[in-house]
Amino acid sequence: MRLLIIEDEPGIAGFLKDGLEEEYFAVDVAYDGKSGLDHAMTNEYDLIIIDWMIPVLSGIEVCRQIRKSGSVVPIMFLTAKDTLEDVVFGLEAGANDYIKKPFAFEELLARIRVQLRSKNQGDDSLRAGNLNINPGTHQVFYDSLEITLTPKEFALLEYLVRNKDKVCTRSRIIEHVWDIHFDSDTSVIDVYITFLRRKLEHAGCGNLIQTIRGVGYIIRES
Amino acid sequence: MSLRNRIAFYYTITTAFLIALVFAILYFMVESIVYKQFDEEINNEVTELFTDAHATSHDFTSFSRFKTFIDDNIEVKIDPKEAVKVDTEFIQLVNTEGEVINKSINLARNVLIFKPGETTMIYFNSTINNSAIRQGQLPLFNRDGIIKGYLIIAVPMKKAIIVLNDLENVFRFSFPAIILTLFVLTRLIAGKSIRPIEKVIATAEKMTQPNIHQRIGLPFHHDELYRLSATINALLDRMEDAFQREKQFTADASHELKTPLSVVKGTLEVLVRKPREREQYENKIQFCLMELNRMAQLIDQLLMLARYESNKMNPHIQEVSLPIALEAATARLHPIAFEKKIEFKITGTEKASVTADLAMLDIILENILSNAIKYSHEASVVTITIERQERNILCSIADQGIGIPEEKLHAVFERFYRVDESRSSGTGGFGLGLSIVKRLADIQQIKVGVKSNKTIGTTFTLTFPSTAS
Repeated sequence: MRLLIIEDEPGIAGFLKDGLEEEYFAVDVAYDGKSGLDHAMTNEYDLIIIDWMIPVLSGIEVCRQIRKSGSVVPIMFLTAKDTLEDVVFGLEAGANDYIKKPFAFEELLARIRVQLRSKNQGDDSLRAGNLNINPGTHQVFYDSLEITLTPKEFALLEYLVRNKDKVCTRSRIIEHVWDIHFDSDTSVIDVYITFLRRKLEHAGCGNLIQTIRGVGYIIRES
Repeated sequence: MSLRNRIAFYYTITTAFLIALVFAILYFMVESIVYKQFDEEINNEVTELFTDAHATSHDFTSFSRFKTFIDDNIEVKIDPKEAVKVDTEFIQLVNTEGEVINKSINLARNVLIFKPGETTMIYFNSTINNSAIRQGQLPLFNRDGIIKGYLIIAVPMKKAIIVLNDLENVFRFSFPAIILTLFVLTRLIAGKSIRPIEKVIATAEKMTQPNIHQRIGLPFHHDELYRLSATINALLDRMEDAFQREKQFTADASHELKTPLSVVKGTLEVLVRKPREREQYENKIQFCLMELNRMAQLIDQLLMLARYESNKMNPHIQEVSLPIALEAATARLHPIAFEKKIEFKITGTEKASVTADLAMLDIILENILSNAIKYSHEASVVTITIERQERNILCSIADQGIGIPEEKLHAVFERFYRVDESRSSGTGGFGLGLSIVKRLADIQQIKVGVKSNKTIGTTFTLTFPSTAS
């Protein structure tokens, strides 16, 4: 899952990036409204966190522009503005959630996961057949057998399961699992897929990830 | 008493006084004209008498001549049956003792009043049978100038008195009517002219902080009320502006305080989520300490600003040597200046002593100088010039730095204002330094000016008040 943080205060952007990367998210940071909007328009993000008071373009303006472009990406406001009017104003500008500073990191994390849930998903856990993924604890079970994965392997599997029954192209996988500093050499995906398949095979579900030749990969429910 | 009543009351009182005065003058003028006419009539009568008697009042010899003459004269004129006839003239001759020598028969048993001791012709009012008459009393002299008696002539005044009484009555009854009408009218007019004030009051009463953007409607005429309304509106503009700035300040202060708090809290929260290497702990804790120091600095500055702005500071104004103060300030800033290879050059160091609070002056100089260092290019010169201009002492501090864009120059003294909007610029200030400078300068009546040029740099000028000497 790839996130964009638009925050001008380097201290806050710093710990958010650190903390979220530890949670297997790919995180990009923009330090002003304009570059944040540029990032949001050129890359595909699974969630965008915006500070309200940022230079060049305000967070509200960035949010409006993103919504104007037709994007439905979840947007969370992160701001010191804390009056009722501010909250309502922020949500009406198109944000999905609103967190007031100072906030608890755990709460932010939980709220991010809520935003990433798909519509027919009651809790955070992800399923594909007998495979069970818990994004909160980063645990993967096949039946009752736990499979130990590295962060990147986990992020890759999580992305494929979230988009199960859909073909995930290599470039989309790169966009959602790796951050902006990664040069888009898609062959690295094949390497990670190989690692993943090996571990899954070990647990007994080696053919879970199927290759669509020349396009990408898919995980099917059945 | 309401304003309109007061206006009406004072106006009426003044006018009543004036009207009373005019009435009185009119009355007495009419009266004196009337009397004058009667006196004229009496004089004519006297002249006629003397002419008829071939005598003057100065060669009076005996009463006999007059006596006969009066008898004859009056008898001819008056019908004896109409005894006391008041609408003709009466004649009476008295000696110096007041004894009646002779009188016209129309007086019957009545006697005209005699005023003894008079040596000239006198005129006065009197009555006979309750009818008003005007009397003239002429002394009669013999050839030696000694008064031998008096000729008293009276004419009836009945008609004239009626006229005078009528006039008096007109005045007496019209006066209260006029005054009352005047009061009512004035009250009405005053009420109408102060109605805009009522509007001002109504608007002002509705005015509370949430709708402070409301303004009083300006009256059509450019009169005092227009000016009052315009003045109140201008006052409201300034108040709204102040409220707005206060709100902005609170928002800025809360943002500036919450940000480092969020950074520290977030960093520590992320840090304790997982076990880490010792080095990582140390790094993060160092980082948090830095943030906390910054926060402490901000709180210090905010407190300082709050203290200065609440005006509770009493500056201890004394003679201060400006060169020595500058020397001390530059010495304190030497470490950071040295780091950027910035040199201070103080010129025009005459013995300039200024009146200022030493501690406050130190803060002012240090803030301006540290700004000069912060925004200077590396290895440049900060020039400090002290000069005398008329009776004032000017101290200008010029850097060779990045300058301030002209459109932002006016705002540099505002709290939390930073020319470079991105807080991540690394210059590390809060935008409070120059606000503190301005406030402290105001307290000591020092004028602070700033001009800037992108290619040359920024110059701050302190103008100290002229010293007593």
